[in-house]
Amino acid sequence: MSTLIIDTATDRTSVGIFRDGVEVFYAFHDGAIAHGEALPKIVAEGLKVESNISKVVVGMGPGPFTGLRVGIVFAQTFASARNIPWVGVCTLDAIALGINENEFIVATNARRKEIYWAKYLNGVRIIGPSVAKPEALTEYRESKFGFGFTSELSPHPKYLLKISEERKNDLIEPMYLRNPDAVPTIERK
Amino acid sequence: MKSEPLILGIETSCDETAVGIVRGRTLLANVISSSVEEHARFGGVVPEVASRAHLEAMQPAIAQALKDSGIALTDIDGVAVTAGPGLIGALLVGVSAASALALALNKPLFGVNHLASHVAVDVLTHTKPLQPTIALLVSGGHSSLLKVADITGDITALGQTMDDAAGEAFDKIARVLGLGFPGGPLIDKDAKAGDRKAISFPRGLMQAPEMLTHPFDFSFSGLKTAVARYIAATPSAKRADISASFQEAVVDVLTMKAIRACKETGIESLVVAGGVAANSRLRELAGERCAANGIELRTPPPALCTDNGAMVAALGSLAMSSGRKPSEIGLAAESAVPVSRAIWA
Repeated sequence: MSTLIIDTATDRTSVGIFRDGVEVFYAFHDGAIAHGEALPKIVAEGLKVESNISKVVVGMGPGPFTGLRVGIVFAQTFASARNIPWVGVCTLDAIALGINENEFIVATNARRKEIYWAKYLNGVRIIGPSVAKPEALTEYRESKFGFGFTSELSPHPKYLLKISEERKNDLIEPMYLRNPDAVPTIERK
Repeated sequence: MKSEPLILGIETSCDETAVGIVRGRTLLANVISSSVEEHARFGGVVPEVASRAHLEAMQPAIAQALKDSGIALTDIDGVAVTAGPGLIGALLVGVSAASALALALNKPLFGVNHLASHVAVDVLTHTKPLQPTIALLVSGGHSSLLKVADITGDITALGQTMDDAAGEAFDKIARVLGLGFPGGPLIDKDAKAGDRKAISFPRGLMQAPEMLTHPFDFSFSGLKTAVARYIAATPSAKRADISASFQEAVVDVLTMKAIRACKETGIESLVVAGGVAANSRLRELAGERCAANGIELRTPPPALCTDNGAMVAALGSLAMSSGRKPSEIGLAAESAVPVSRAIWA
């Protein structure tokens, strides 16, 4: 019983395949606008190692929209074509699972000089995810930061898998957190 | 090589999430989920709104197409997808879905050109060989005259618009006239009650010197300005007359240049395709002028003129049955791409 795990919510396109909880394939590609080309190539490599997939797990963001959608629509369509289930998890939760601290904030690059962030305490998300200017987080300055500005954070597939198995926060919709920019004609000056 | 391949085609280049299924030249399913109503309040297509709608609509559209066609996904021989030109964020949803299908089912993937597939859809409704032909491709994003020797790989652009696409001009004039969005069908309807000879609007790039330098190119920005000025200067003008006269100026130029392309190349076949090809006056005038010049006119039914998945599947089917090599997994969606590239490498 193998699980295909995908995340495209950060600049990194990550793909893992785990058989009975054991990693049999893990590869990634770094590039902010490369998800569309990288994801199918990496999955193709992974399927050479293990093609018998019984579940798909995908990071639902928050993340820059275009790349995020690449991973989600790929996961959904692959699952539907193989007639297997897919599970969506919060990408920031997966990053947090890999951080060994009691109290901290995970932040990733949301572009436009903003960040996607969430605060965790003793392994539980207590605030967020939200999108904000980094300055807005000064009130949490006692917390440790994992900032996506200085060192880009991205989730390891094993953490996405772990969260999907807990089945606590299954996500169906992408975490966009921002509305499209367009202004209706009637509201224009 | 398979003579009648069963192909599923996905189209997401603009605001329609479309999935079509064809077997050879036979249409089995054509599902279109449009986000046009979400865009209407913005007065045009908003790329991010379109992309979000594609993601929401993709799985239901695939499921509906399979239901309509009565086939199982495992029966298909290949997957085709619009890889460009179009809105990049929108294209990526379709390309990613198609790549997932191809990998999950271990079937070949064909990335196809949106413009070429608008022409290729003609094979679903006409039994005669498609090529060689001249194609007039007119939509909200494109206005081109093409010489098609082989729809899967030998297409030459004879000319295109220098500014607005024909459909874009319809949208803009509809907005000025207060008709709404999208403008094409609204102007077409409004024009039926008007006199197309009431106002003599300018015909772009039709003067003798321009016909030497730009024989097959189009320009609609001057027309647009002329109509806007006329409306401002003539408040008493009947709206239907403006609609009809504007529409006539557009379709007059489109058909004149298309006929000329047929004559100069000696190709006696014309395909009129793309969303604007659903315009009733364009179809009528093209019919009259082709008949007068001994040219065979082929116009797909209006439902296959606007963006759809069947046209993508049709081009994929032609590519597969002619032995074309499939595209590589990881093919790049591209917002701007010449029509000479019909199938992605």
